[in-house]
Amino acid sequence: MAETVLKIENVSKRFGDVEAVRNLSIEVGQTEFFALLGPSGSGKTTLLRIIAGLETPDTGTVIIGSQDMTRQPPYNRGLGMVFQDFLLFPHRTVAENILFPLKMQKAPTETQREQLNWVTNLVRLTGLEERYPYQLSGGQKQRVALARGLVARPALLLLDEPLANLDRELRKEMEVEVRQYQLELEIPFVYITHNQEEALTMCDRMAVMNHGQIEQIGPKLELYSHPASPFVASFVGSANRLAGVLSENNSIFWCDQEISVSAPQDARTGDMLELYIKSERIEFHNPEMGHENRAFLRGRLVDVIFKGQYSDYLVEVAPDKIIVVSAAGEQPLAQRQAEVQISWPVASCDCFLSNT
Amino acid sequence: MTAFSPIPEYWPLFNRLRYSHRFRFYALTLPGVLLVLVFLVLPLISIVIFSFWKTERYELLADWNLDNYSTIFTAGIYLKFLLRSVLMALCVSVICLLYAYPVAYLIAKNGGRYRLILILLTATPFLTGIILRVTSIQHILGPIGLLNMGLMTFGIEPVQVLMYSHVATAIGLVYLWIPFILLSIYLSLLNFDFDLLEVAKVCGAKPFQAFFEITWPLNRIGTMIGFVLVFVPSLAATVTPKFLGGVDGALYGNILDHQFGATGTWALGSAMGVVLFSVALAIILIVARSLNLKRSGFTGISG
Repeated sequence: MAETVLKIENVSKRFGDVEAVRNLSIEVGQTEFFALLGPSGSGKTTLLRIIAGLETPDTGTVIIGSQDMTRQPPYNRGLGMVFQDFLLFPHRTVAENILFPLKMQKAPTETQREQLNWVTNLVRLTGLEERYPYQLSGGQKQRVALARGLVARPALLLLDEPLANLDRELRKEMEVEVRQYQLELEIPFVYITHNQEEALTMCDRMAVMNHGQIEQIGPKLELYSHPASPFVASFVGSANRLAGVLSENNSIFWCDQEISVSAPQDARTGDMLELYIKSERIEFHNPEMGHENRAFLRGRLVDVIFKGQYSDYLVEVAPDKIIVVSAAGEQPLAQRQAEVQISWPVASCDCFLSNT
Repeated sequence: MTAFSPIPEYWPLFNRLRYSHRFRFYALTLPGVLLVLVFLVLPLISIVIFSFWKTERYELLADWNLDNYSTIFTAGIYLKFLLRSVLMALCVSVICLLYAYPVAYLIAKNGGRYRLILILLTATPFLTGIILRVTSIQHILGPIGLLNMGLMTFGIEPVQVLMYSHVATAIGLVYLWIPFILLSIYLSLLNFDFDLLEVAKVCGAKPFQAFFEITWPLNRIGTMIGFVLVFVPSLAATVTPKFLGGVDGALYGNILDHQFGATGTWALGSAMGVVLFSVALAIILIVARSLNLKRSGFTGISG
């Protein structure tokens, strides 16, 4: 990893009875797009606020650059931040909103003009400088918020679900755009989201948070392909969950069907196992695939949901037990109400010892 | 027309009116307009008319002239008292502003679910009459008041400046009118998004910069309304200086009052009233001109 820009060590924060962040450590390097993914209430926003200086941690340190910033107020940290509901200053024009951080630094007028030119070109806001926020569309407001975060060339940009309030099409567009800015500027972005698709699209590395702790941290492909916990397996990507008791010949029974598994090493016969299989790893079985190292399920195809480049096939294995198979739009073997056999390589499913 | 209309359909004129926006507009505004016309505009017009007449032996005579105004502007004493009143009203409004802003801010920001109760508590003195409120101040500040009696028991000299002086009047006026500005700043802050201050701080603004860049301009309209609501009644103050001001404490309102009472010079009094009204109006206009709606975050669009 390149030079570390942000280092969080053993940070905890408690609000009354709630431990929002528990003894948590993260490092983010220069030129890195880092995503913090978690459901609401997982403590990710608290962590971001601690980095920004809007909350003081009960324990632990926050180091930005090489300075200990744990007790420093936000205005001494030199960060940029983009908020979910834009939070533009309604009484200031677009240009004044964007230039606010430079004005606070009392930057020379010449510098301010140069930076304004640079950033409005970057986020494509040229020509809107004299408008007021209420005269802008949602996407434009978000661009102004981004520009305000970037204008002072911060050491680090924090983004708190910045795209959550935009509609789907615009969000897709902005995801690519935001990633582009990060690549161009070569500063680290710390991006908070509860949307795993968004995180997977944009980030280099990510951390999945749950109950104030980090479940797993690493490159996004690693989290996607090798989830370390059932929570990560169910939260990242779209997975089917199966559960059953491990039998002697390395398989479980689920819905009266025997499924081969690659059980974790510490699992013993009779242990309860949880299986997560990403829906795109399941295939409609045909004889050419062979039987070596594959797991099978039989069921009835109840519905096909067309998504464009692919379709979701809903296979009913038992009443109210549906397995989702994502595959190319037209599957020759798939006819509604038909009996189908689906299969997947045993190694491609994530298998965990169940805690219950 | 729906089948359930309570108005018979054969009443065409009424039905036509019912659906006309103009009719609705007039129906809604009429009560307010009537009130203002009968109790504000008509008396005001009569006062303006009287101010160009004259009074002889306690009687108004319709003898059109400008003598009252020339008296006011040349005799010196009237302008002196007017200036005194303007200064008093300015001081009172500024003190009210400085005191009310932090109080309203703390209640709006940290009051939680008690904030409405807290703000109503600040207005409880209104439950008593103005005379009672002013005399209660007298009981605290006066020579045999709580404060000075207390000081004297400990062998300390009584505080002269608080007894029957302009300072006492100012304290009384601040106490009387502060709920207006407090409420008006509070209501403004209720609609203020305090999260903007966090944004400002992350953007590098120190607390005082965040206040003057964000909080102050975005609450300027409400603050200025409160300022005017304190300024205008303070300018016309009569009872408070009479009770608390002492021998030399008379303000413009007192000599205006005098014209309608002891001397019975109603025409001169009317002219003085017109001058007072004009000054108040001028101040309101100056304040209004200083407000730029766009620069105060007012868009006319909700949310």
